[in-house]
Amino acid sequence: MFEVRFHGRGGQGAVMAAQTFAEAAVLEGHHAQAFPYFGAERRGAPVRAFARVDDKRITIKSQIYEPDMLVIMDESLLDIDPVADGLKPTGSVVMNTTKAPQDVDIGVAVRCATVDAIPIALETIKAPIVNTAILGAVAKICDLVTIESIKTSINDRFGEKLGEQAARMNSLAAEMAYARTVVGICKGERTIVRPKVWLPTWKELPQGTALGEDTLSGVTVGPGGSLGNYTGTWRTITPKYDQEKCVRCLRCWFCCPEGCIKRLEDDHVKWDYRYCKGCGICANICPADAIHMVKGAMEP
Amino acid sequence: MMKVLSADHAVAWGVRLAKAEVIPAFPITPQTLIIELLSEFIFDGDMDAEFIPADSEHSAMSIAVGASAGGVRTFTATSSQGLALMHEMLYASPQNRLPVVMANVNRSLGAAAGIWLEHNDSMAARDSGWMQCYVEDNQEALDMTLQAYKVAEDPRVMMPLMICLDGFVLSHTVDGVDVPEQAKVDDFLPRFRPLYSLDPADPKVINPIVPPDYAMEMRYQLDRIMESSRQAIKEVDSAFAKRFGRGYGGLFEAYRMDDAEYALLSLGTATSTARAAVDELREEGKRAGLIKLRFMRPFPHDELLAACKDLKALGVFDRSLSFNRYGPVFTEVRNSLHELSLPITDHVGGLGGRDLTLGHMREIFANIERSAKGEKVRTCSWYGLRGEQE
Amino acid sequence: MSEKELAIIRDIPNNDWFVSGHGACPGCGMTIAVKNIMRIIGNNSTVYVPASCLIVVSAVYPTSSFRTPLFFTAFENTGAVTTGIKAAYRRLGKDATVVGIAGDGGTFDIGLQALSGAAERGEDVLYVCVDNEAYMNTGIQRSGSTPFGAWTTTTPVGKKTKGKRQMKKDMMDLVIGHNVEYAATLSIAHYNDFVKKVDKAKRKSGFRFLHVLTPCVPGWKTESAKTVEIAKLAVETGMWTLFEYEDGEARATYRPKQLLPVTDYLQLQGRFRHMPSEDIKVLQRWVCNKYYWHFGHEAEQPACAMFKGEPEMHFDGDPLHGV
Repeated sequence: MFEVRFHGRGGQGAVMAAQTFAEAAVLEGHHAQAFPYFGAERRGAPVRAFARVDDKRITIKSQIYEPDMLVIMDESLLDIDPVADGLKPTGSVVMNTTKAPQDVDIGVAVRCATVDAIPIALETIKAPIVNTAILGAVAKICDLVTIESIKTSINDRFGEKLGEQAARMNSLAAEMAYARTVVGICKGERTIVRPKVWLPTWKELPQGTALGEDTLSGVTVGPGGSLGNYTGTWRTITPKYDQEKCVRCLRCWFCCPEGCIKRLEDDHVKWDYRYCKGCGICANICPADAIHMVKGAMEP
Repeated sequence: MMKVLSADHAVAWGVRLAKAEVIPAFPITPQTLIIELLSEFIFDGDMDAEFIPADSEHSAMSIAVGASAGGVRTFTATSSQGLALMHEMLYASPQNRLPVVMANVNRSLGAAAGIWLEHNDSMAARDSGWMQCYVEDNQEALDMTLQAYKVAEDPRVMMPLMICLDGFVLSHTVDGVDVPEQAKVDDFLPRFRPLYSLDPADPKVINPIVPPDYAMEMRYQLDRIMESSRQAIKEVDSAFAKRFGRGYGGLFEAYRMDDAEYALLSLGTATSTARAAVDELREEGKRAGLIKLRFMRPFPHDELLAACKDLKALGVFDRSLSFNRYGPVFTEVRNSLHELSLPITDHVGGLGGRDLTLGHMREIFANIERSAKGEKVRTCSWYGLRGEQE
Repeated sequence: MSEKELAIIRDIPNNDWFVSGHGACPGCGMTIAVKNIMRIIGNNSTVYVPASCLIVVSAVYPTSSFRTPLFFTAFENTGAVTTGIKAAYRRLGKDATVVGIAGDGGTFDIGLQALSGAAERGEDVLYVCVDNEAYMNTGIQRSGSTPFGAWTTTTPVGKKTKGKRQMKKDMMDLVIGHNVEYAATLSIAHYNDFVKKVDKAKRKSGFRFLHVLTPCVPGWKTESAKTVEIAKLAVETGMWTLFEYEDGEARATYRPKQLLPVTDYLQLQGRFRHMPSEDIKVLQRWVCNKYYWHFGHEAEQPACAMFKGEPEMHFDGDPLHGV
């Protein structure tokens, strides 16, 4: 049994990648399954998908906790999600990154395939969606599939959904990524940080379904408890504010879907970047050109 | 004060005396008499409550759930198709610990449609987390309404309770009913104090989406609460008996069971006819007994085992079917008594309003007696069916 | 309740009762609406949210993004549950605003009956419909609110049929038919109009209905930065009309001087990308008819831009024009 865990962000197509990988494994004569993490998080939020490959019919229906291979579609996930949790020391990792394998640190030193998939995606499918490109890198490091079976599977799955042209471009993305993938060993220095959790026993759990404002085991719960969820980690572009230009119209304060633009006494504004998802609405509607979106998640 | 009331009106009097404050409802036969009388009470100013004419039973239960979450005592009533329509909303109150009280006037549900008595409406709701009680006569209908609030709002319980009463046979039959004094009821049933409520002064989130990390612990809590509600039911019935001079045995009533060799377990109005049959059999020198099951949920697993351990045979009466063989009450009873080696048989009758006579009841007892003697008897027999059973 | 009536963005209280950390997609139009409605309504309130994106992104045990009391049970019962909560508050002498915030599916379709019941009974609740024109929470299926021609997963762009073949249901018209206390449409891009209407709804008692158009980035296939821009174009093209119903009369609160062609709105959204010109013509005609249906009795009318080559449509004096 070979188990793979895919890590991406909502909207990046991690589930499609897992399914395409499983289909490629089936084309190679293996048995395979793929399934999403059944959650409700939205695009931009960290998501997981899973695949299993074996030489006989797979009957296990649980999630994967000790994967043989990780596929990380978005490098920034390493800072916000315990991505490498449970990865077998003998396992491997495939990552979309500009770095070489030896410069990547996932917290476990394992065989590592890296590829800078964003430029490939932009060149082929004209969108920064790397779920097909990354499969080219998978083919490079994983013996269970070949680049041919990956391409056939992409043609099948994407062709049916998006048409012939889209299938061809996605297939090309995988092929280009396969050619550009570098294999090495990554670093294992990072401490894998696990988020705080509150997991009470049935006796400890408050009766019924209600919670008031509280902190339990270090976790904020109840009304307003979502403030403990730092959605700023979803951000890939960041608003930069030029107070000199600001006309204090408060439109950005009104239009921010996150409520992370704080209104000051004098009606200037200030960002709470812990929650900013980088949607860009504030920059788009600012009548004074006082807000600009800059690449990356760094606070300006 | 003695009044001659239908069981529907007896329930309405119970609700009035219990001072339910918000009463959403939607009309359906044979329940409608309840909400008509409550509307009269409220429109005449005899009862200080809000009657909310809902647009459907689904909305009626939604309003009741909202009002209960808002922190007040609520009541609604329904039947059959109405109960089925509100089925989704039945599940909103148990896990949220909202002690809504409802009367369900039993009526057959679904195709082969009729307005007549069958238990296939409430039996389909027995896994919703509601406590479910079946009453036998008009006095019990009123008394159980008062007890229902006391049990449901017990701090150990805080769960919804459904009072089931047989359509027409009970709902539309008048009988003498002692209507207790308001002061006595007030003393028995204090003001409703919710476990928690929606309150802007003390904001709480109630019933958000519950992910797999917490749902199982919540389900287990609920299972434990349902289990422990048995104690509250027994205590409330004793307290009621002390105060009003009428007790019903709590989870079930054992009638002439002390030295019984064989017995029938029944629920609802069938029990009354069965009592007459047992009395006749006793006069004939036969050691027949009767168990009147009052609560389907919580189900008295342990208590029933103790009550039946000396029997040579037990029959179970079912007024509905869990299709392809047995009725739901039989399945529950046999499950509880699996440790005992006595023959347990199912007896189905009175479906779709078919009259259940003393003759049928005598036949049922005759079959149980035969099984007690070791004779082979069908595991499930129908009474009043034209044509041979296969 | 504050004495001063609110009229502009600056008047909105600087307190958040719908806070950060919710899980909505970047650029979500619905959370813009909810956040500002809650700022204006304040915390002497209780919120009921039925099954929808909103409940999923804002309230997953053990947390909530609402700092007010929040309750959820099912999909189709916003009108009913809010009725119950308000009845309880009346009994307990609590003077709090009970707000139901439902999506278009929970309002136009599955929740229509309970909404109608509450509106007809004149329940003292504030019903907010956040309308993103499809069942977004379950992954973009068409609703009674989805506009003509739009792609959804259940109105796919097929070889035979392309997009939804029916028009958007006129929800305001149905609500107004209940003789309600107050009903208004809101746009997240018309800030002052938004502020005034929410404040007005808060001050009134009786059944109040606020209908907000809330663009949805994944469902409409748009850029996240353009959510508010698209909401503005909806009004400027007439795809969304800003009006209110009060004291038995409907009144336009904002009238574009000249309606822009509907294509200005459609071209920013992937869900309309496939639309053939004959379908766009049908939609444009519907927009113009709807505009006159909503405002026909008023004096000044903007000319409605028809599809290229078609004569412009003007108000012909008949208040039931186009019905």
